[in-house]
Amino acid sequence: MGATLTYVRLNLSRVLIIVGALAALGTWYFSVPMVDSVFKEVNAWQINISSFTLFTGLMTISMRYIRAIQRRDSDIWPFQAYALVLIIVWVLMGLTVGMYSDTYQTAYLSTKITLHIAILGQIIFYFTSGAYRTFRIRTLRTAALAISAVLIVALNAPWVQNPFPAASNFAMWLLNNPQMAASRTVVITGGIGSIVLGIRVILGLEKGAQRITEGE
Amino acid sequence: MKIPDLKSQYVWVTVALLAYIIPGVFPLGTGFPMSDTTMEIYDIVQSLPEGSICAIGGSGVFAFDLESSAGTIPALKIMAENGVRIINVPLGTEAVQYEKFLIDASRIETKYGGTHEYGTDWIQFPYIPGGASGLVAFLDDIHAASPADVYGTPLDELPLGRELTNWEDIDLWICPHWGFPTIVQYVTGERGITSISFAQSGAYARYSPYMMSYPGQVYMTNGFLGGAQMEQLVGMKGLGHAAIDAYQVLSLLFVVFVALGNATMLTAGEEE
Repeated sequence: MGATLTYVRLNLSRVLIIVGALAALGTWYFSVPMVDSVFKEVNAWQINISSFTLFTGLMTISMRYIRAIQRRDSDIWPFQAYALVLIIVWVLMGLTVGMYSDTYQTAYLSTKITLHIAILGQIIFYFTSGAYRTFRIRTLRTAALAISAVLIVALNAPWVQNPFPAASNFAMWLLNNPQMAASRTVVITGGIGSIVLGIRVILGLEKGAQRITEGE
Repeated sequence: MKIPDLKSQYVWVTVALLAYIIPGVFPLGTGFPMSDTTMEIYDIVQSLPEGSICAIGGSGVFAFDLESSAGTIPALKIMAENGVRIINVPLGTEAVQYEKFLIDASRIETKYGGTHEYGTDWIQFPYIPGGASGLVAFLDDIHAASPADVYGTPLDELPLGRELTNWEDIDLWICPHWGFPTIVQYVTGERGITSISFAQSGAYARYSPYMMSYPGQVYMTNGFLGGAQMEQLVGMKGLGHAAIDAYQVLSLLFVVFVALGNATMLTAGEEE
């Protein structure tokens, strides 16, 4: 990539990020109709771009699969060919009978959803088998893990809740206090990390995020 | 005495037999206690006046969201009986198909002999992309965010569509999907609309603290158990009741296998 193009790409993306971020932040701090309308306009663009990314994703994955099928240098190319056929079939069906038609719905429920539910149903076998093997109390940490898991599973079960109705209150206490404290730590940490990352992107310190590293 | 380590196959066979096959053939009819929160939710849905509008929407994956349908279907039946109008707002690509499933399974549509006529009593919006941004745009200006329904019919040509302007027209938001935090933040937190999640048990464990953050505004039911409770309040037996049998056995098996695993470890140690 030429240096000029890299320069334009870097600054254009930076300007877009700053305009988008300020438009969203502005509505929090300024109760001005113009600020609100700018945000609405930028948000509408964002939604349109989000729609377009579905199409971009379809094109990208199709091109990748077609190249892989042409090269046939991997064992998985028959599956990629199968996926490509399915993509075409589903797109054509959606366009012809309509995504909200009973035909499309029946096809969707009979294939993708049924298979997905079957896969999810299998998890319980791994889950129980895994619990048998791994929740063995050897240390304080494994004790905390095993006891928490058993408590939450048991306290929500009818065989505990029926004779001891207060069990659900204890389960709620566990969720609302120790669980919330830990999960809020993760959320707050992630939030601070996102702010720091955003500042770094705006300052141009995270060039990888702006896809301009290949020019350097 | 040394307890032998069980092979995975034995665990799988026990789970398949006791939790799936036997309750599937001979339903256990497991009883379960009623929850105060589920009763509050029932009262809220029941008390919606005729003609009010309930939005059903969010983002999630169909197969996971199926757990939420156990509670949502009874709620849809209540709203249909009381003349509450419904707008389905899918914020995920699979949510369109899932929301159609909810309408079809609840049998509230006129084509199934129900009371709700499309366009007048309920509307299905198309997928609204953009995640939280899409939701905010929808709440601020419904016609701008989605000028047509899922069939491509302009909202102005639908009686209910003409009435919709922004979030102020929505009386209640039900989220039958995984992505409840977005709804809590933008629908309840910023705009004060009461929100209900017929949550999957995983989502309930994770997001139930929101009920403490927004008391009297955010409500959640607990997985299939909550769904079964809603079914019981409405007087029907659906997916919730069916799943409770399996959960009853599985939760017991889980505890038994953890205890057995520890007993195996302890007795092996004694031998050594």
